[in-house]
Amino acid sequence: MISRSPSSKQWLLTLPSLAWLGVFFVIPAILIVVTAFRPADLHGGVGAGWTIENIEALRDPAWLPIVWRTVALSAATTLICLALALPMAFHMARVGPRQRQILLLLVVIPFLSNFLIRIFAWKSLLHPEGPLTKLLVNLRLVPEDALLLNNVGAVLLVMIYTQLPFAILPLYAAAEKFDFSLLDAARDLGAGPWRSFSKVFVPGVRRGLISAAVMVFVCSLGQYVIPQMVGGASDEMIGSKIAQRVFADRNLPQASALAAALMLAVLVPMFVVAAWQRFGRKEAAS
Amino acid sequence: MRKSRFPALLTLGVIAFLFAPLVVLVVNSFNASRFGGEWDGFTWGWYEKLWAADEVWESLAITLKIAVSASLASMLLGTLAAYALHRFRSGLQSAHSMLITLPLVMPDILMGMSLLALFVLTGVETGLLTIWIAHVTFCLSFVTMVVLGRLQDFDFTLIDAARDLGATRVQAVKKVLLPLLLPGVLAGGLLAFTLSIDDYVITFFVSGPGTTTLPLRVASMMRTSRSLPVINALSTLLIASTFLLAALSFRLQRPLRSGNAGL
Amino acid sequence: MSDFLVIDHVSKSFGSLRAVDDVSLSVSQGEAFSLLGPSGCGKTTLLRMLAGFERPDSGRILLGGQDLTALPPEQRPVNTVFQNYALFPHLNVWENIAFGLRMSRRPREEIRSGVDRMLELVRLSEHARKRPSQLSGGQRQRVAIARALVNRPQVLLLDEPLAALDLKLRQHMLLELNAIHEQVGTTFIYVTHDQGEAMSLSDRIAVMNAGKVEQIDAPEALYESPRSSFVATFIGDANFFTGTAVELQHEGYVRVMIEGLGSPLVISNGAVSFNQTLRLMVRPEKISLTLKRPPSGERVNAFPGVVEDIAYFGPHTRYRIRAGEHRVMAQLQRSRFSGGVIEPARGTEVWMSFHPDEGRVVMLEGGA
Repeated sequence: MISRSPSSKQWLLTLPSLAWLGVFFVIPAILIVVTAFRPADLHGGVGAGWTIENIEALRDPAWLPIVWRTVALSAATTLICLALALPMAFHMARVGPRQRQILLLLVVIPFLSNFLIRIFAWKSLLHPEGPLTKLLVNLRLVPEDALLLNNVGAVLLVMIYTQLPFAILPLYAAAEKFDFSLLDAARDLGAGPWRSFSKVFVPGVRRGLISAAVMVFVCSLGQYVIPQMVGGASDEMIGSKIAQRVFADRNLPQASALAAALMLAVLVPMFVVAAWQRFGRKEAAS
Repeated sequence: MRKSRFPALLTLGVIAFLFAPLVVLVVNSFNASRFGGEWDGFTWGWYEKLWAADEVWESLAITLKIAVSASLASMLLGTLAAYALHRFRSGLQSAHSMLITLPLVMPDILMGMSLLALFVLTGVETGLLTIWIAHVTFCLSFVTMVVLGRLQDFDFTLIDAARDLGATRVQAVKKVLLPLLLPGVLAGGLLAFTLSIDDYVITFFVSGPGTTTLPLRVASMMRTSRSLPVINALSTLLIASTFLLAALSFRLQRPLRSGNAGL
Repeated sequence: MSDFLVIDHVSKSFGSLRAVDDVSLSVSQGEAFSLLGPSGCGKTTLLRMLAGFERPDSGRILLGGQDLTALPPEQRPVNTVFQNYALFPHLNVWENIAFGLRMSRRPREEIRSGVDRMLELVRLSEHARKRPSQLSGGQRQRVAIARALVNRPQVLLLDEPLAALDLKLRQHMLLELNAIHEQVGTTFIYVTHDQGEAMSLSDRIAVMNAGKVEQIDAPEALYESPRSSFVATFIGDANFFTGTAVELQHEGYVRVMIEGLGSPLVISNGAVSFNQTLRLMVRPEKISLTLKRPPSGERVNAFPGVVEDIAYFGPHTRYRIRAGEHRVMAQLQRSRFSGGVIEPARGTEVWMSFHPDEGRVVMLEGGA
């Protein structure tokens, strides 16, 4: 369809969702950035005038460990999720349709159950009196008084647990479209199973890989419930700090400054990826 | 050529990993012991306690009210959006598409915070309305994606055929497009419903006194360790109902075999 | 009525592409007519303009004297059998067929009798309550035909009707389509890229190429007397020779000197003038092969060659023979009763001959 100026029919159909998201998504996002530059008032609201003290507060070196921890945890989660999801997508795309449906259902169902419940499940599982600890102690894999809970490891584990479906689904979608006869061709030319996987399959699902990576990374950056519930006092992430600023400290502008910074951290990789994909498409077309 | 067994084994392992905590929860909901470590005998006790916990059922009612109304609204908005995205190609739609995709990747905390800022700065009191608005906002994109997927599979020569046989454009949409699109719209609505029931973070930010949804109730119960095993019972019930809803949505999303040649 | 459906100087472009270029033709009432051509020739665009899904940039479309050009599809007395059948998956066979009648709000009795009549015509009465997904390809097509015909259209358009069927089914449907056409008497317009299909189904064929109509004729006339190289090669196979007319003989015969071929050929064609360059076509099956030189005469065209390639097709055999710089294709029918037929092996020297009447001029230069 040749692109002309949008018809009134197009506007009519587009306007409802556009307006809704404009008012309840775009404007709030802009508001965050704006609020970051305002002072806090005593009642927990936003004062008048402008200030950059909230932005300045971000330059406090005390932030560094938290930022570092957030980024590192998110990166680790992303890498591990991808490492697990790739072979899974590979397998799921190759089995028959019935098996595939079942596997898909099995992957999605735990994902659809209540988020808090899933974290709670891990909390009880990892509890010092819980079954897993008892099992590991009996197997002599960990010392008697080991604490599986309230540490960075627990946070990482539960993050991986909650984010895995976000990695599997886009990778599976890409794997479905992958032409598996390419792997046969690679094997025919002498590549072993690992090499044909890494040199043919993985590049072949590049698009899905990137979607999955971006989704998992971005979601992980904003996590706060998980560190709050299964992490220790020293395992805070940016998300927990934002929540703290909003509810405990009642300092909206500072929270906004943090949130704006997080927004930037989230939007930048997304736009980079989108631009790179668009650029790649243009190159392929020319 | 021998295919490596590794991917299959890994898949099964990961699925076991995904289900393990849930299985433990379900088992423990019948466990008389307070802590999941040992089995103290089978009991319905926690379920009885759950039944008596009025505040839980009140929260459920609020949650369902919001979920149903949010699903309906996002079904309407999402279907219109999907149709516009599929039918038209223009600068407007590219922007529209980007706008629809953003909420899908935005961390909950940012969405929650920004909406809270909006409500605070416009003086809107947090409560049922604000929660409803928040839920529609993040469900919209999901419904759009589901319906868009169905539209892309939709054979538009069916519309030509209807017009060829005497139907006006409006009649063709009413008698051919909508009936065939309905399962997809319902599937999207069901997805929205599930997401709405499950939401914690965003709801946490935009809820007010007196609007404790189920996830919020569960969170507060988690903080008072007395009620911990009751949460197991509640969780089991929720898992079971999610299972049913998921199966339903899956059946509705099964691609329609059009019975047409070639394509 | 011979000018029942008139396409009057119709053109349609998409951007810079001229899909249909000043096409004019007329179809008689009750005729079985085909638009034949390779993909991209404009036949599908022309069909869509007849159905009402595209508007011509210029020109008119008239049906029974009425100007249809500006009418939307739902208001035209024209129905289409779509290439992919486009059966409504959420309706059963009966409801599919009834759709058009319901749209025109026909009374219930009329709808019932109309649909039942159609089901009988296409022999699907026992399948009335089935959904399209439960039917075979051939059955679905019959539903599509019934769904269109039940509305008693003045013209029925069929878009590549046999394309989706396998060979045996195709042969069967060919006969069925002809039977239905005979029984119903409606004007049928087929669109196809398959020349065999067009030839079996049509009273007349319009051969299209790059948006233009090259020739409109009955199948036999198209085959025996193609007016251009395109038509000659699109319909059947052809041997082409380029040469100059060196002698005009009486009774309309012309002696032609062919480049690269030793002896001149004689063909019959009245429109050639002296010294004119022309392109000559001979169909493979018109060429006879003999081991010895055939008895010479004024009207015998014979020239020697060597067999290069042989392709066995079952009912006939194709030979590729080199004569000077020319490669000639000859086709021989196999039969126990055609005495004197030879089956030369590769490398054999043979003589090719054809009757002057079988040589056709397809292109003239320098004058025509």
